[in-house]
Amino acid sequence: MTLYLPIAEMPVNVLVFLGMGGAVGFLSGMFGVGGGFLMTPLLIFSGIPPAVAIGTEAAQIVASSVSGAIAQYQRRNVDIKMGLVLLLGGIVGSVIGVQVVKELRQMGQFELFVSLAYMIFLGIIGSLMLIESLNTIRKTRAGHAPSARRPGQHSWIHGLPFKMRFHRSKLYISAIPPLMLGGFVGFLGAIMGVGGGFIIVPAMIYLLRVPTNVVVGTSLFQILFVTAATTILHSVQNHSVDIVLALILMIGSVIGAQFGAVAGEKLKGEQLRFLLAGLVLLVCLRVAWNLVVEPSELFSIATVVGGH
Amino acid sequence: MAGSPQFSEKFRRRLADANRNVRAIKPQHVRAALTSRNAAFALGAAIVVVLIWIFNAGMGEQPKNPILRETGVSPPSAIVRDMETPSKPDAAPAADKEGIESADGERRHAALAKKPFHNPEYEESVEVDVSAKSVAITAGFSGQRIVVFGAVHKSLQASAEQGLYDVVVILEGMNTPLISRRKSNVAGLWINTQSVEFVSVPSYYTISSTRPILEISTPRVFDEHEIGFRHVHIEPEPGEASKMSEHELQMFRQAIVRLKAEDGLYQKNETGVVFIGKSLFRTSIDLPANVPIGPVTARTYLFRDAELIAEKTATVQLERRGVEAFLYSFAFDHPALYGLFAVIMAVSAGLAASAIFNRSSS
Repeated sequence: MTLYLPIAEMPVNVLVFLGMGGAVGFLSGMFGVGGGFLMTPLLIFSGIPPAVAIGTEAAQIVASSVSGAIAQYQRRNVDIKMGLVLLLGGIVGSVIGVQVVKELRQMGQFELFVSLAYMIFLGIIGSLMLIESLNTIRKTRAGHAPSARRPGQHSWIHGLPFKMRFHRSKLYISAIPPLMLGGFVGFLGAIMGVGGGFIIVPAMIYLLRVPTNVVVGTSLFQILFVTAATTILHSVQNHSVDIVLALILMIGSVIGAQFGAVAGEKLKGEQLRFLLAGLVLLVCLRVAWNLVVEPSELFSIATVVGGH
Repeated sequence: MAGSPQFSEKFRRRLADANRNVRAIKPQHVRAALTSRNAAFALGAAIVVVLIWIFNAGMGEQPKNPILRETGVSPPSAIVRDMETPSKPDAAPAADKEGIESADGERRHAALAKKPFHNPEYEESVEVDVSAKSVAITAGFSGQRIVVFGAVHKSLQASAEQGLYDVVVILEGMNTPLISRRKSNVAGLWINTQSVEFVSVPSYYTISSTRPILEISTPRVFDEHEIGFRHVHIEPEPGEASKMSEHELQMFRQAIVRLKAEDGLYQKNETGVVFIGKSLFRTSIDLPANVPIGPVTARTYLFRDAELIAEKTATVQLERRGVEAFLYSFAFDHPALYGLFAVIMAVSAGLAASAIFNRSSS
């Protein structure tokens, strides 16, 4: 069953992409992540032009984060004020990111930049998560309870100006770190075609010291609005959002995510993190492999961007 | 249809049945499917899919357009071989006086663009048409066969077997600027280091002939009329030519033809044109599904004794139709609205899913 994609200008097998959406949706539902870091490389490897893959994936992340964000909001787990500060930074970052995508496409270094970004961030996050989860597993085996967050510690972050009170997060910190964090994640999201949950969640926990229950809701809130903005920006700047492809992926992923959530309930937190870390590292290695091993075809051709 | 009330009654009953069956599906039925066994099964499937991708990643060179392989088209490797073998000896003199020759050729080519060529020394002329004047690109588009047919007027051959005439048919898409890039190893990483921008490269090019073109005529004629992959004018931007040697430039040209051939966009069929009787000929060419959308021209050349006698051109229009046309113009004419529409669609898809399954995917 093939369908011709209007923006990617190529015919695709609908069932393959439904299955792809389902598989990634399953994993994202199980691990509670957006799945953008899996879906975007998958789309690129299956022949979708990288720019279209990234633009379309932004729309798909909107779909997969919307229901979670609403559920978290109803449970009063969203710190709106913190979310807005993150969002403000995020939109600025996204605007810059979309512009950078355009420039890099013209220079022909877009692919390299995306690969390097994937390699570096997935490598760091994956290794950290792997170490952390292994430590936790080891500790629980040894009979210790996993250590909780140690509040009240002060770092350089608490010395910055423009302090704001974030009631729900029970924090009184400068607005600069959340703004910067939001901007950085928005920028990466626009370039890598990811929601950025895998960066924003650890950063909020370890750098900003936001309580864990508020982190998930607030990050989903930020991701939802930033990816929505990114979708619109990509359509305006690069004409690279393929609605038909997005719809196919959404259908697959929202169904897959429901099954994934059930599977996720059966596993412990640290086991989940261990599996996720393994997956993240595999994707990182796969991207690195393409950069390091001599390709069988050294040449590539591309249409001249911005020519029309 | 006044004569079939029973039929419409039957149809209405069927529709009511189907409707009742669909309504009988309750949300709890769907939720009941979310058992741990099903979830485990889905987990297995998901991991298998991801692992296959990670370790295989479809890097193998499988033919991308299987439907094309039935009209006797040469494989891409044949085109690549053509490009890499050195020119025949008789091409050498032409290359020697390239300066004069190409300027001359350029002028003649410009003149040709205005009116069809006809060699005054011969009486024969050629008439050509295509089976489809326009091809609709719809949601179901998966390529289309185009038949180019024609007749030799005042044909002197007694039968098709005599082989007095040779015909070359070129189906060609728009010429567009193209960048070709080459990777090289920088500090252990394979990254794009060299690039050449070519002014105009045919987005699509299929050559079909009565026999291999080298047997038909001389490279000089082919160069002049851009017949064959070796003779298509793929010239770099004026400023870019000085960046590298002619040999390197040739490598970039070969790469373009090779990559296009692997994508199924450049094809050749050395025995594709067949004569039926003394004057009729035809060839069928499959437009691949990934053909760039735009006008396509069918150029037909008639040869006799290695001399070009006549030329004729017909065009095929490729147009987006229906939903494809609507979405494409929506995306390009109202990009902000289109983006907003994509977001609204995403939000409703997410909400619909959580409403159906009645559980949050946090």
